[in-house]
Parts: sequence; C-alpha cells; structure tokens
Amino acid sequence: MFQARNLTKRYGRLTALSDVSFSVRRGEVLGLIGPNGSGKTTLFECVGGVLPLDAGSLMLDGRPMSDRERAATLFYLPDAIVPWPAQTVRWAIDFMLGFFRGRTYLHTEVVTRLGLEPLLDVTMGSLSKGQRKRALLGLGLLMPQPVLLADEPFEGLDLRQSRDVAQTLRSYASFGRTMFLSIHQIGDAARVCDRFVLLSGGRARGEGTSGELAALAAARGSVAGDDLEEVFLALT
Amino acid sequence: MRSPETGTAENAESAEKAFLSATAAPSAVESFRWLLRKECRELLASRAWWVLLLAMGPLVGVTFISAVRTYAEASGLNGTTAGVGEAFSPLIGIWAPTFSACEVAAVFLLPFVAIRLVAGDRQSGALKIETQHPMPAFARIAAKTQVLLAGWLVALLAPAVAILLWKTYGGSLYPPEVATVALGHLLNAGLTIALAAATASLTEHPSTAAILTLSVTVGTWIVNFIAAVQGGLWERAAGYTPPAMVAAFQHGLIRLDVVLIALVLVVSGLALASVWIRTGVAIRQRVRETIALTAITAAAAIACSFATSSWDTSENRTNSFSRADEAALAQIRAPLRIEAHLAPEDSRRADLERKTIAKLRRVMPALQVQYVSATSIGLFEQNTQHYGEIWYELGGRREMNRVTTVGGVLETIYALAGVTPPAETDEAEFRGHPLAVPPTGAALVFYGIWPALVVAGAFLLRRQI
Repeated sequence: MFQARNLTKRYGRLTALSDVSFSVRRGEVLGLIGPNGSGKTTLFECVGGVLPLDAGSLMLDGRPMSDRERAATLFYLPDAIVPWPAQTVRWAIDFMLGFFRGRTYLHTEVVTRLGLEPLLDVTMGSLSKGQRKRALLGLGLLMPQPVLLADEPFEGLDLRQSRDVAQTLRSYASFGRTMFLSIHQIGDAARVCDRFVLLSGGRARGEGTSGELAALAAARGSVAGDDLEEVFLALT
Repeated sequence: MRSPETGTAENAESAEKAFLSATAAPSAVESFRWLLRKECRELLASRAWWVLLLAMGPLVGVTFISAVRTYAEASGLNGTTAGVGEAFSPLIGIWAPTFSACEVAAVFLLPFVAIRLVAGDRQSGALKIETQHPMPAFARIAAKTQVLLAGWLVALLAPAVAILLWKTYGGSLYPPEVATVALGHLLNAGLTIALAAATASLTEHPSTAAILTLSVTVGTWIVNFIAAVQGGLWERAAGYTPPAMVAAFQHGLIRLDVVLIALVLVVSGLALASVWIRTGVAIRQRVRETIALTAITAAAAIACSFATSSWDTSENRTNSFSRADEAALAQIRAPLRIEAHLAPEDSRRADLERKTIAKLRRVMPALQVQYVSATSIGLFEQNTQHYGEIWYELGGRREMNRVTTVGGVLETIYALAGVTPPAETDEAEFRGHPLAVPPTGAALVFYGIWPALVVAGAFLLRRQI
C-alpha cells in the first residue's frame, strides 16, 4: 500500500524517531507495538501529516507520496483528544461525513457495531473515555481513506469492548480496509494484528508476522519462542 | 455492541467494493460549507461570544444614554441655553460616543471570542483531524473569520437598537455618516479578529494568545503616545493604528489609504494564522513564510499609504473646507510646502493639523508638511527666534505667518498662489439638529430587555446544538 523510509523526527536534542522504515500492505491489520515513550504517537503524527518529519519519506508506488496523495490515502485518528466537545456525537459524525465526504453508506452499520446509538445525542465532551474512544473509532471507520491509522484504539475500553472493537476492525480489514494500529498492550495487538512493527527508543526493531519476528529473535540468539511478549522483549 | 457476524452479506459486498475502489476527493465547496456550519455551531456554543453579546447592551446603553442626555441639555432641555452648529451634529454628539462602546468591546472582548474559536481546535485535538483535509489552511481560517464577523454583526445590533431609539425620539439621522462609523468599527473588528487568529495560531495556549493580543493593542497605544511626543514618522505610523483609524471614521471621514492598509493588515494577519496553523509543516519553513509575508505586508502597506483619495461623509462637512474654498484650492497646481515650527505637544500644532492641514491634504494631494521643533512640548522653545513661524512655499515664493486658523492659512495660500479668495457665499451653513428630549426607555432596553434576550437566546440556542 505504502512504505515509510528512514523516518526521523527530533524535538530539539531529543531524537524521537530514528531512521524508521516499514511497509503497509493493503487490507492488513498492522500493529505498531512499543512501550510508552517509544515514539508510536510521534510516528503516527508524522505519517498522518500532523507533525513535520525531519528526514525520511512516505513512498507510494515507488515514489514519494505528495501531501494530496497522503490526504487521500491515510486517515490518522489521534488518541486522547476531545474534538468539538460542545457538539453531539450525531453531529460530529455528520460533520465528518460531510467534511471529508465519508462513507455515508456505512453510517448505520458502524453506529450499530460500535454501540453508538445511545450516545448519538450526547455531546462529545460528556462522553466517558471508553465511549469517546468508540465514537472516535466510528468516525475513523467512516472516513473515505483506504488506510486508517488509529492511535491506541483499545485505550479506555473494557475487556468485552476491546474484543468487540477488535472484531469490528478485523471485519473491515477483511473487506479491504487497511488498519495500522498503535498499541502498547501486546496482548491486544496479538489478538487483532496480522503483522507488527516493533518500535523501541524511536527505532524500528523488527517487522513481520509473529512467526517472522520469532524467527528474527531466534536468529539473534534468543529463545523467546512464539510468545509475542517474549519476542518483543528479545528484540528490544 | 453488535457482533460483526450479524452484518449482512449485501453490506459486506458493498463495503468491500467501496474500500477497494479509488476514493473521490471531497468537494472543496461542500467541505467549506460544512466547515462554516461547524464554526457557526462552535460560536453559538462559545460562552465568550454570549458574554460579548451580553456586555454590548449595557456598554452601548451607557454611552448612548449619556450622549442623548448631553445632547438634549445642550439643545435646551431643563432650561439650558440652546447652541447652534457643529455641536448639534448627531455624528459627533450621538454616534461617535455610542459606537465607542464597540471599540471597547473590540479591544477587550472580541479577541477572546476569536482566540476561543481558533485555539479551541488545537486545545480539543480537532485540529489534528481537520488539518488532514486537503483544504488550504487559509480557507479554514477564512471560515472562522466569516463566522466571527457575522458574530460581530450580531453584536452591532446593540448600536442598531440605539439608532432605532434615536429615530423614535425624533432625532435626525444622516445614513452616510452612520454607515461610515459602522464601517470603521467593522474594519476595526476585522483587525482584531486577524490579530487574535494570528496569535492563537502562533502560540500553544489561548491565555498566551490573549496576552500577546492585548500586548499588541497596548503597543498601538504606546505608538500613539510616542507620536504625540515625537511627531515625525511616529505620527505618520500612528495615523494607521486602530484607535486613529476608528477616530477618523467616527468623524465621517473615509480615507482610502486607511481602508487599504487596514485590509492589508487583516489579510496578512489571517495569512499569518494560516501559516502557523499548519502543524504538519516544519517550523523553519513556517518562519521563512512569515518573513516573506512580513516583507510583502510592509511593501503593500507602504504602497497603500500613498493613496490620497478620501470621502467626507459627514453631514456638516466636518472634514472639508467650504465648497467655494475647495474649488479655489483646486485651481492651484504647483506643489505647496508648509514648514511649521511648532512642537508636537503644542496645542497650536494640533489645532493647525486637525482643522486645516487635514482638510488641505484632501484637496491638495501634493501638499508637503514638515514640522520643526527641538523639543516635544515647545515650552522652552518659545523664546527661540523662529518658534511659532509657519512658512509657506509655493511656486518658488515663500511667505511666513504665525496664524493657525483656517481663514489665516487659506489667506496666505491664496496670496502666494495669486488666486482670488472666494467671495462669502450663501452656502448653507450647518445649523445642527438640536433635540431636547431625554433618552426615554433606553435604560429599560439596554439594561433590561437586551440582557434578558441574550440570556434567553443563550439558553435556548445552546440547548439545541
């Protein structure tokens, strides 16, 4: 779908991302895994065009992706935001569908799947953390771009909600939608993702399926086995 | 939440096709409309705007009631002696003070409304979502500006109510001069909005933006103060500050250079806001764009300062000589140079500038005026040889006198130019529109009905959002 090449981002003397490269394939659920402070949000904000990169580029069909192509290809859903706090969920959905010319035909389905009906007339600012996360995921799923970057999509959700959201995301990925999810809970990531990018200290430590990562860990002399948590610890 | 397995096969098929197909870019016009709707709703949800509306009633009320009372007393109410002439121009007696409430609101309240609307997106995180739309940043700022100006027009309903009340009292209304005052306050609001938008985009936090905006406002006051003391270029620059601009409009004077420079500053402020609202652009790039924008703004403002057209829309022609004098002065083709040895704070200089030079500039665009003084107040220059002299140079001839009145100055110019002074004409002298009525009902309207309507409006409309 697209490739990230040597993405680098610095905040003054602090290097938040250093030469991070990976590729995103059509219709997959790609997990960006890393501990807190590893640079996951910075990476997403750079890929989503919200923050400028100091170096590196996104490639589409072998050439650098223009801003317009990025806007047409990717939609980045940030974590920990309360957009339009005075507006209702219903209006936020309508606005996003109208403003971005979203996937109106999915409106009812997404609202139903994410259990948003009782929240439609509640203002965004009044929602609990979990409710807001579901509402924001709903907005993301309704966007027209083929790739959805969601930062911590399970943050604030209880176990049942996490499982349901994971199923929903997988379901849309099976229809061809590409999901790139930033997840710090490796258990959540293992449940929903097809492939993983391991990020630690602002560097990509590995990319691949859990089997490929386990093989990579083994090649580096680790006996992590197939457990993703162990593989992650071995590679980072 | 519903399980995904319950999704219909039809849904799945249609979704798959849709996800795999190329996505159409959102229509720019349609997206802009949605943005306008959003900004309208955000403004209606903004407490700052409702507070501005609430305050406008009493602010306009206190100035209007006070102005009408003074006007009535000068017109003979309560047995006072009725005067005649310029004092009974509703422009000077009623509208300038009444609309001055708008200036207070534009300086101290409107910036917070604008900052809230611009910085709110950054605070809530909505900016991170909206900025992913390919729409140009200037369009996003323009949408906010349009809504803020619309919000300001709603606030201007308070002086509009004052106009209605004035008419019900039987007061005279000369629409061109009232429209000029309103235009001045609209431009002033535009400047405030542009400044607030720029500071809100430049800074991370709304409170920093508010401090920065008020600092710029205080800065313009300092420029005015320095201009009064130093004169020269400071005086020229001070003529384009918002207080000076509003003052000119409040006297019914529309100066093309002032309007153009105000528009240049408004567009530049909005452009600066749109440069800094693009969080995805490297800071260095934004700094480069800011430097380029500053240079373009300075060049455009300097170019606009050479525009000389102006229009006196006041009923009593307060900014103009008599028509006969204007016709006589128009015959003079040679450039006139005036050198006045008067200090900036000398009252004679202020008198000369306001009552004569300002009018001369309107009919003689090639006029050059130079003030010469060694001190700011002139008190210690009184005994110097040339202090108080006003030298006129026209067509190679020079003449000096010390008179600062309109008649004395014009007489000297006519003599130098060899132009026969116009005869005294029967041109209708402005006799004024005295009105000896108290501001009946105004207190109820501005202190009672207006706040009640605003509170009710806020309650009902905010609930419907």
